[in-house]
Amino acid sequence: MTVQELFHAIQGSEISKLIGRQDHLLGAIAQIFHIAGLILVLSPILIVSLRLLGLVLRKQSVNELVKATSSYIWVGLALLAFSGALIFLPAADHYYPNPVFWFKYVLLALALLVHLTLYRKVTQGQNTSIALARFTGVLALVLWFGVAFSGRLIGFY
Amino acid sequence: MSVIEFAQVLYDTELGTSIRESVYVFPILEGLHLIGLAFSVGLIFFTDLRLAGLFLPKVPVADILQQLRPWLLVGFALTIITGVLLFIAEAAKIISIPVFPIKILFILLAGINALWFELKWGRRVHEWGTQNSLPKAVKLAGWTSLVFWSVVVITGRLIPYLNYQQ
Repeated sequence: MTVQELFHAIQGSEISKLIGRQDHLLGAIAQIFHIAGLILVLSPILIVSLRLLGLVLRKQSVNELVKATSSYIWVGLALLAFSGALIFLPAADHYYPNPVFWFKYVLLALALLVHLTLYRKVTQGQNTSIALARFTGVLALVLWFGVAFSGRLIGFY
Repeated sequence: MSVIEFAQVLYDTELGTSIRESVYVFPILEGLHLIGLAFSVGLIFFTDLRLAGLFLPKVPVADILQQLRPWLLVGFALTIITGVLLFIAEAAKIISIPVFPIKILFILLAGINALWFELKWGRRVHEWGTQNSLPKAVKLAGWTSLVFWSVVVITGRLIPYLNYQQ
């Protein structure tokens, strides 16, 4: 089965058809949860990254900020995944040929990879060099905001 | 000139037309509007949570307000500039969508709430901002801001969907 056939099978599944039969306002509600999830992910990343760059809240440790904000990221990701599924499932065929859709997922995979490896190590570490902290802050900002930016553009292409 | 006529004039300007018809400019403005939102509403979110006592309760309120303010204002500038350009490009259509004036109303209400907070409490934050329990009015201002900006985001996202229905 090719990926294109897989996407076609996803769109044709009972759950996708069920979602597709709902009023278009369900789509609007899914979009609202998607943007709420996005803010819950991006704002903790923003605060922690600005701190890694030494630009805000220098009296607080990076670790303290991560502890105070990281739960919002996971709530946000759960909201994004759920609302994203509602948006994607009934229109899988429509997304398959869209290059921006694929670009977003490449960025998302990279963002998650960095988040669970380098970002986690740097924000929990005691003796991280300033250069590595700054690099990690910039990388996290570029990747996560890149996901949001490209996600917003999917609908136009 | 009525508001609707003014919206039509904006819509027909060279600027409005060229944004609307560009394959790249309109989507990029939408993307930047979203990024501005993450900076402005995203950082307001944590400021409000601090006022409500739910974010870094041991850190003085003054630190949070002052440290986040410049980034938050950069975010608002980006959101407002891109928002105005997006409005100009779509003015004639957007002006007739009932949810749009509700969004504008709540931006104004959130602004009034922030201004009231700043004049009444923000200027003497050092007197109360380190107490264990913050004044009730401060907590209320935090929650009010959180609710108003949420309504702004929700009504903003609904604009294209309620347009489609008509």
